[in-house]
Amino acid sequence: MTSRQLRPFVVFGFSTTHDALDAESLLEDMGIDVVPIPAPAELGKLCGIGLRVEPDQADRAGIYLQRAEIVVVGRVNIEDF
Amino acid sequence: MSDSHQTITYLDHGATSWPKPPGVQEALALAVSELGGSPGRGHYGLAMRTTRAVHSVRRGVARFLGVAADRQVLFQPGCTQALNLVLFGLLEEGDRVVATSVEHNAVARPLNVLGARGVEVDVLDTDSQGLLDIDDLEQALKRPAKVVVCQHAGNLSGAIQPIKEAARIAHDAGALLVVDGAQAGGHLEVDCSELGVDAWACSGHKGLLGPTGIAVLYLSKGCQPRELVVGGTGSASSELPTQPTELPERYEAGTPNTPGILGLGAAVDWLVENAVNHRERERLLTRRLHEGLLELGFRVIGPPVDAPRVPIVAATYAGLDAGRMAAALDREFGVAVRSGLHCAPWAHRTFGTLETGALRFGLGYGNDADDVDCALAACASLLGDLT
Repeated sequence: MTSRQLRPFVVFGFSTTHDALDAESLLEDMGIDVVPIPAPAELGKLCGIGLRVEPDQADRAGIYLQRAEIVVVGRVNIEDF
Repeated sequence: MSDSHQTITYLDHGATSWPKPPGVQEALALAVSELGGSPGRGHYGLAMRTTRAVHSVRRGVARFLGVAADRQVLFQPGCTQALNLVLFGLLEEGDRVVATSVEHNAVARPLNVLGARGVEVDVLDTDSQGLLDIDDLEQALKRPAKVVVCQHAGNLSGAIQPIKEAARIAHDAGALLVVDGAQAGGHLEVDCSELGVDAWACSGHKGLLGPTGIAVLYLSKGCQPRELVVGGTGSASSELPTQPTELPERYEAGTPNTPGILGLGAAVDWLVENAVNHRERERLLTRRLHEGLLELGFRVIGPPVDAPRVPIVAATYAGLDAGRMAAALDREFGVAVRSGLHCAPWAHRTFGTLETGALRFGLGYGNDADDVDCALAACASLLGDLT
């Protein structure tokens, strides 16, 4: 059995599913690895979709989202599998 | 059962389209076989694939309707519900609304209810073809109104209303233009941005060729009716005790109709590829039918044969009951048409057919010249039997 370790990620939060899907589509088009996950409690939300990205891609992702005028309601660092 | 005979010629596309174009049936099946997750309610693969599929259809429908911001395209359970949302959500006691005399009950009945609640409802008579007179609208808006509501195309007359001009006049007077697009979507090229409408609602199952139980509602940024239904949206449950204000969630409480949405998406995809030829075919068939009915001695409601109309031709024949004729066409010839008042008593009153109803032929996907000729021959045969 492979041992798993927690490692750092950045999660972007959105106020609507629609925004999260727009963001997912945009970031994938820009070559950023995106994984939709339940919005983490650190975002102050317990409902909705967060987009998890690798830490070294997070700043670039933030810029793309800003340019596309997709509203990000929060950005948090988490540890995940 | 007395209706066991087979419908050979389906000419009731004004009520609902049948059959559906390629892809619709497959999309419905996909929605219950492979995309059975709850859209926007879950992060696991099945739910996300379903959510993305719904999102993709919204984008496609928005493009098809000339809407740049796809979040302004809302999925609703029906055009009637969509129009109820807009009318009840915008109008309250003391407001004034201007409508035309040919509105369908999806508009007329909400306005009747609103009138009883203290909304001032002014109904403008159309001309003899069922067309809104722009000068009459301009005159009516010399007094302030909050909303102008107008059909895009007549479900009895087939007449195509001057929506762009109506939007300009409404906006000049500070009113919003709400459009019942039920008979226009798919049959006409519709660009909501170009038209300048504030709300445009359309059934998914008529000219848009999708399944029943789904409709499209476009809302401009300036049109923000109160919600008719509030509840779960899959978002903001921890932060908001009330409905989110962002679109589309604000107006889409409850689990979305995935089969309906995906079926509509497939139908719109078909229209994107085929609309030009499809509409030309509809135009030619409509003219053929219109001319044929005139030759048989029918009085055709609405614009003359050379004028633009959606593929609806409603007609009466002096001394002949439309209901009996429709039943005989079905029973003896397998021709499906619609008699009665077509949920449009205001329109029938306008055309003087409130007491008799009319025989309505609605053309659409799947019809060809043989269908028209078959219907005309059947009518001729029935009329011949009477003389």
